[in-house]
Amino acid sequence: MAAERTNVSNDLVWQITRNQNSYLVRRNTGGGSQFSRDPLNLVNKHSFKYSGFANTKAIGVQATENGGVAVTTKKAANPNKPAQNQVTVTYGPNASTRKIYKGVADKTAQHGYRADLREEAVARVSAVRRSQKAKKETPARKPRGSKAQAEEKAE
Amino acid sequence: MASRPTVSIATAEGKASGATQALPSVFLRAHPFGHCPVHAGMAKNKRQPYAVSEKAGEQTSAESWGTGRAVARIPRVSGGGTHRAGQAAFGNQCRSGRMFAPTKVWRKWHQKINLNQKRFATASALAASSVPALLFARGHRVAKVPEVPLVVESKTFGGALTKTKAAIALLQAIGAGDELVKVQKSKKLRAGKGKLRNRRFRQRRGPLVVYNPEVDGKELVKAFRNIPGVETSSVFALNLLQLAPGGHVGRFLVWTSSAFEALDKVYGSTTTPSALKKDFLLPSNSVANADLARLINSSEIQSVLRAPKGEARTKRGVVQKKNPLRNKQVMLRLNPYAAAYSKQKLGQTKVEEGKPTRAGDAFNHVLSQE
Repeated sequence: MAAERTNVSNDLVWQITRNQNSYLVRRNTGGGSQFSRDPLNLVNKHSFKYSGFANTKAIGVQATENGGVAVTTKKAANPNKPAQNQVTVTYGPNASTRKIYKGVADKTAQHGYRADLREEAVARVSAVRRSQKAKKETPARKPRGSKAQAEEKAE
Repeated sequence: MASRPTVSIATAEGKASGATQALPSVFLRAHPFGHCPVHAGMAKNKRQPYAVSEKAGEQTSAESWGTGRAVARIPRVSGGGTHRAGQAAFGNQCRSGRMFAPTKVWRKWHQKINLNQKRFATASALAASSVPALLFARGHRVAKVPEVPLVVESKTFGGALTKTKAAIALLQAIGAGDELVKVQKSKKLRAGKGKLRNRRFRQRRGPLVVYNPEVDGKELVKAFRNIPGVETSSVFALNLLQLAPGGHVGRFLVWTSSAFEALDKVYGSTTTPSALKKDFLLPSNSVANADLARLINSSEIQSVLRAPKGEARTKRGVVQKKNPLRNKQVMLRLNPYAAAYSKQKLGQTKVEEGKPTRAGDAFNHVLSQE
């Protein structure tokens, strides 16, 4: 939180919101699974470490509409100014995936931003890129059994 | 504390006007709370009594037939000529019987909450409304808002803002446009009987505009009141139910600058009592620094911690069992002698004395008892 606001901290925000917040998705299936819809959550998991809103420093990786990847980080300096608080770097659809890995890894770990999130950030870029690949069409099924015989006869 | 943090005041166009205001102490003291019993109690205080009719299920002259007729002793409807005659009545298990423990209008509908607790809760909810993280967690779309708490010049209001069109334009200019869209899209038909009881639709809550009626006038109430989700409140009559709807703190507030200024008068500080609330001081912070990570890593704490006991070895979780006869490392862990044993090749050395000599004939005779 803001440096001058000593009565509020990330830990306090998390304690207030961990049981209920607008991003939390709870289901009874899977032994009471808890997920997060937070765009700044790298693994979509409901936990303090990965929560984007409760941490002053957080990173989010999202697919863009044109097939690229958008990487968003929060500025630690002015948490009270939401409009100026986020920085987004967009990689186009033709950017090499390894370059994006490098960019994301540098962003998290190189300047001591959130080194603990490096692996997850890179993994998410990878997952996003994989999801953007064009789907292979399943080949037409070869005829088997009586159908195959019928076809052979026709020839 | 070095200097009190300030908040910049926005113009009607959403730009910084250049003027700033010190953050009122109500924002600085309070530890915002999560769900609180004060809200749970206050939410009950608008209820109206309801109950089933006292006569329901009791409107027959049924009497028990007593024993000896091979039927249960429950009261049975008297008479004949209709199917109802002879049927069981009154009991909660009976068709057309009375309900179990009929509801009464004298149920305890309202909760008394101590005044100080209500004030404390309101102050905490106010403090929470100045934390963007809590606004996001409540679901408000405030990503484009220039600053939280959001303060708009009072000269924008003060009788100047009378039209809803202008009010919408103002909210959009200060970055609350997404919030208005969210509220509008959220309108849903209510599930259940509430539909018939004047609660047909449900929708999200939008921003709460807090004004000072002495300076801003009351025209803005009419300007804002037809915008879905938007509510207005006088700074002198802030209500916990509006500041923390559903018991979840972090309502998106839009302050007029005069209302923001009035906060110090309304709530006072931890040392100067409130000018308007009798005998009210803001409670002091229970911890000076709420940042847990900073506290744990502070040199004051770290310097007095003792070294951890035990070995610097993590306990192995559930791992596959390895065969020590095949896996040398596992063998060494189990049997420290195994290293020396294999190094000296004790397993491969021959017995030094050679083969044992055969026992003589005398022994064999004794053995076979000859």
